[in-house]
Amino acid sequence: MENTSQVPVTVLTGFLGAGKTTLLNRILTEQHGRKYAVIVNEFGEQGIDNDLVVDADEEVFEMNNGCICCTVRGDLIRILSGLMKRADQLDAIIVETTGLADPAPVAQTFFVDEDVADRTKLDAIVTVADAVHLSSQLTDHHEAEEQIAFADVVLLNKIELVDEGALKKVNNRIRKINPFAKIIKTTRCDAPLDEIVGLNAFSLDRVLKIEPDFLESDHDHDHDDDVTSVSFVADNPLDMEKFQAWFGNLLRTKGQDILRSKGILDFAGEEERYVFQGVHMLMDASPMGSWPKGKARSSRIVFIGRNLDTMGLKEGFDNCKAG
Amino acid sequence: MSNSLDQLNGSKKTPLEQKGDHFSFDAPVTEAVSVGDTIAVGFGDGTIRFFRPEHKPYEIKAHSGVVLCMVGCENSILTGGDDGRFLEISTDGDIKEIANFGSRWVDSVAEYKGDRVCSSDNFVHIWSKDKEKKSFEHQSTIGGLSFSPNGKYLAVSRYGGVTVWQRGKNKWSSANYSWKGSHGKITFSPDGKYIVTSMQENQLHGWRLSDKADLAMSGYPAKIKSFNWVGETPYLVTSGASEAVCWPFDGKEGPMGRKPVCVASGGKQYATYIEALSEENAVFIGFKDGLVLLSEIDEKKNSITVRNSTGSEVSAIVVSASRSHILIGDIKGNILWSLIKSENNEVKNV
Repeated sequence: MENTSQVPVTVLTGFLGAGKTTLLNRILTEQHGRKYAVIVNEFGEQGIDNDLVVDADEEVFEMNNGCICCTVRGDLIRILSGLMKRADQLDAIIVETTGLADPAPVAQTFFVDEDVADRTKLDAIVTVADAVHLSSQLTDHHEAEEQIAFADVVLLNKIELVDEGALKKVNNRIRKINPFAKIIKTTRCDAPLDEIVGLNAFSLDRVLKIEPDFLESDHDHDHDDDVTSVSFVADNPLDMEKFQAWFGNLLRTKGQDILRSKGILDFAGEEERYVFQGVHMLMDASPMGSWPKGKARSSRIVFIGRNLDTMGLKEGFDNCKAG
Repeated sequence: MSNSLDQLNGSKKTPLEQKGDHFSFDAPVTEAVSVGDTIAVGFGDGTIRFFRPEHKPYEIKAHSGVVLCMVGCENSILTGGDDGRFLEISTDGDIKEIANFGSRWVDSVAEYKGDRVCSSDNFVHIWSKDKEKKSFEHQSTIGGLSFSPNGKYLAVSRYGGVTVWQRGKNKWSSANYSWKGSHGKITFSPDGKYIVTSMQENQLHGWRLSDKADLAMSGYPAKIKSFNWVGETPYLVTSGASEAVCWPFDGKEGPMGRKPVCVASGGKQYATYIEALSEENAVFIGFKDGLVLLSEIDEKKNSITVRNSTGSEVSAIVVSASRSHILIGDIKGNILWSLIKSENNEVKNV
């Protein structure tokens, strides 16, 4: 037997009633020829019955690693370790979180626990949003904002219940919070499963293939929304030491407010592109092959979070330029 | 010919590899315990296999999913699975379901003279002879269970520390031992004076039962998946490093302020499993790459290669009660089962 490859894990968030259970039932019942395990939470809607459904409790604990905001989901460590002992290889694992849960501890679990990181990999954070209610949820609950902010994919569901103008409005609202998520508009969560599961959205090379928006540098800043995003572009190469010092300090001191960060970097004297991807204070970075021939090299960086305008991000980034 | 080839590869077959029986099953070995001279092995597909001297292994299908935990009793084993079932299985293969928690896993089990205990989520359930089932709720999901050697205490690890339940005449009372973080596997020292847990953060934490004094045993490069008490000192021998780290628990202060003894440093990867050979103050150490060493707890002595590396993480090593046989299992479902006792009753023939 051979089951040492990494199983992709999709984190499914969204408020109660948005359509998560509809999606989970599709994943479990459709004849897709794949084996998916689903980790559900105790507050979830009823009606899922399957051998591969595991009850979780969403308990988090703080790591003793000196990182004060580093909470991880203990139940996920336990359950994923258990699932890895199964005789059959799973094609994917889907983790459902409650509407009110902060998605950060789930994502951080994959950065922090070695056994989990060895055998599984965070594939994508998918947020199911209700086209009718999302706007009011965003106004009333900061968790709704965070779920949109963390998402790699937003399933904008129940679009049949809103008119075109309202749909455009909610679409723009999502874009303002999270300019690089892929938005899929659905009725009854009827998107093809391969656009939701097995995306590899968290792999660093995927950062390069994210929606075209990611590469645009002039997003609207709408300060009505608590969570915002900013992005910067530099056409001159960056100094690696300066960048590491600035960015490291930034995540250490402001990591609690920075929900997601992503970037492609052009360092002076380096042949390869550098790509990074972060959740709060935790970050993965590595060289990712040489620059495409015939195209200008440039660095691009995106932040999604709170109080971004107080962090001196533009000045900090500009100061990293080489020479 | 094959011998010289092996030598070229730098891995001459060990006596155990030559004389032992090799089995290959379809699911990871998750747990193994000895019940007298029977060794029970749990697998990731819910199968339990019993190995006995002079017999072919006997198998039963016990759980519909992973066998998550197992403990040996007088003539039976207790098992918990990801099918939510808590089972008592006789060494003849008779299965009795004690409880079924459905989609809630049974993560840990313990036994003391007929008291059968399991944990599921944040509850511990105790079935005692002629008494009603008792259930204790805890503040978070439970990481491990351990009875004290005299059965008076039941220690339950969880997030933020350990709850120690004390058996009274009519009811159990509890005390909290706090330490921030997530606590997993748990054990009492053989004299019952200390409790030790393995933590999420690559360290052990211990408490003296009497005054709750803390012991921090840290510096490991990996999570401590396995530990065992060895010898008369006794030592708590632990995995989680490229050698076996042995903490002395003698004297008034145990390991406080003392350095551990480190043995079996021949491994290229981290140790993942520890089995005691107490009578000889020695341990079997299994590694992530499949290597198994035998070492006395003495830094001056060299360790013996019991089994060469195979590429698959060692997930179980069990020596039978009379020390006649050894079983080594790994996460790919391979088992090596062999006689080890020589005629003068010493474990030499490895």
